[in-house]
Amino acid sequence: MLKIKNLHASIDGKAILKGLNLEINPGEVHAIMGPNGAGKSTLASVLAGHESYEITEGEILFEGKDLTALPIEDRAREGLFLAFQYPVEIPGVSNVNFLKTALNEIREYAGLKPLSAKDFLQLVKEKSALVELDSSLATRSVNEGFSGGEKKRNEIFQMAMLNPKLAILDETDSGLDIDALRIVASGVNALKTKENATLVITHYQRLLDYIVPDFVHVLFDGRIVKTGGKDLALELEEKGYDWIKAEHA
Amino acid sequence: MKNEGRGSLIEFQQQLVPTNLQLPDSILSKANQDIQRLADFPTTKSEDFRYTRLIRLNKLQLQTEKSFAPPLVNIAPTTEGIQIVFENGQLVSVVGQHEGVTVQSAQDVPQSQWLACEYKGFVQAMNAVNAQGGVSIEISKQVAVPTSITIIQRWSGKSQAVLLHHQIVLHAFASAHIEWIHEGRAEESFQNLLLDCFLAEGSQLKMDKLQTQEGNSFSFCTERIYQKKQSSFAINTLTFNAFFTRNDLEIFGQEEGTESKMYGVFMGEENNHIDNHTTMNHMAPHSTSNELYKGVLKGKASGVFYGKINVFKDAQKTNAFQSNRNLLLSDDASVNAKPALEIYADDVKCSHGSTTGQLDQQALFFLRARGISESKATDMLIKGFMAEIVGAVKSSHIQEALQTLLG
Repeated sequence: MLKIKNLHASIDGKAILKGLNLEINPGEVHAIMGPNGAGKSTLASVLAGHESYEITEGEILFEGKDLTALPIEDRAREGLFLAFQYPVEIPGVSNVNFLKTALNEIREYAGLKPLSAKDFLQLVKEKSALVELDSSLATRSVNEGFSGGEKKRNEIFQMAMLNPKLAILDETDSGLDIDALRIVASGVNALKTKENATLVITHYQRLLDYIVPDFVHVLFDGRIVKTGGKDLALELEEKGYDWIKAEHA
Repeated sequence: MKNEGRGSLIEFQQQLVPTNLQLPDSILSKANQDIQRLADFPTTKSEDFRYTRLIRLNKLQLQTEKSFAPPLVNIAPTTEGIQIVFENGQLVSVVGQHEGVTVQSAQDVPQSQWLACEYKGFVQAMNAVNAQGGVSIEISKQVAVPTSITIIQRWSGKSQAVLLHHQIVLHAFASAHIEWIHEGRAEESFQNLLLDCFLAEGSQLKMDKLQTQEGNSFSFCTERIYQKKQSSFAINTLTFNAFFTRNDLEIFGQEEGTESKMYGVFMGEENNHIDNHTTMNHMAPHSTSNELYKGVLKGKASGVFYGKINVFKDAQKTNAFQSNRNLLLSDDASVNAKPALEIYADDVKCSHGSTTGQLDQQALFFLRARGISESKATDMLIKGFMAEIVGAVKSSHIQEALQTLLG
């Protein structure tokens, strides 16, 4: 589904990703862990198409298509979803209108008709329940006045509505208490199918107790330096990142 | 000798016909003197027109004959409310009525019933000397007008001069909602509209003012609001795509406990110029004012926001809040914003702030990352930016018009 080969990316001339390789297949859950500044969030931003980053080398194929050639919105329409580490507040734009526009733009790209108002509302009802999002939050402005936990649940609600092929969760656990974490994780798990895949980016092993990965990768200095199963996360939790740093210094 | 760099106000004014309104003689003679004394249009050295160049007015060749309005077309009689229509300054229809509401042509207002005492600056002086009609609306004591009173100003053709003076009087504890709709399609024309509102004790006036303008004409629009004890006034000023629009809104909170709300959005493109000047005078204790103006400018459009708050010595316990936010969507768009506070009372709460910036790039990225095209995402953010004010508009007519204007 996703093939990243020898990816180099920089921001303002500073190299962040330095030859990253990663392959994700349908039905898989991957986790990327790593110390601060390793390039985890950069990878998420580059995949989503953030224009501040420049790809200097390498390629990203999504379902065989060159992702780097696509504008931000087309990547989303192709089925890529980024759950933001810091969801943006957009005053004056209602959550529901925003989602309706997004969903219909994605459907149009796929050659589908816009969803009827009735079907859309039914979908909102069903999917907001999944992350226990208060229905009043659906009509409020996007993320405005939402608590940290509500913002993250809103991200997963959007993911549920848009039904992506590949979801990238960028530090979705940051700022969540244990209850919110459980809700978010169970939402993600409920959305998992054999056809879609998830890439979880996290600092801590904690989230991986709830969203169990098939693969754990350690990102360090812009490259994936170690890959293992879910046990690798536990090992990192116990030993920290110093031994990785020592190996690759 | 005339300075070539300046615009002659006297020459310009000679193109206009003397007023047909019966303003008090003292006002007329003072206004005439003011024009003679000024002689030229104010330059950008003057505080009031620092960012608005008036010299361009000199190029206008206005028709000296009062133009006849084109025949009335496409105005459906309202099924409810009162609708007053002007075509190029001619009062062409008044439809609807309500008990306790008196609507008459401004020409019929006797001298003693023109209530404003002071006409400041060349715009108001010119209006005093040259206004050709207008409408007078009077609402009797304790009458709550349940439906809207709509004033439509249509302006079309070429080289037209439209000068009108309207007066709205609310007697004690009366309440009303006014829609003031300006539809400009005129070329090389000049408009000077003056609206005076007198709010007696405990009265309430809500106003939605929509200005849309196509064509390269110059529009000056002044509102003077006089508020007595515990009256409440609220206006939403919505200005779209104006080649040249100068709005002056001045509120006089003359007695205790007045409430005033001034909301506005202005949106300009190409080489539009939109200038909003507001003045809030807190003259008595325990009054509140709330002001929020938002500007969106693209192309080479320029905008001005000047917001003055005067708190008089006796106006203790005044709460005055002012905020201006502008969004510039191109490198060539500009805005000049100046909040100005003069406070002579010592127990007041006043705040003001002005910000100008670009579209939130992170928000744009977020929307696009959800599959929304860049242009649609931009539109959503602009609408979101204005939502606070657009949402405050009660008028369904104007809401509909706004949906079209905002796409």
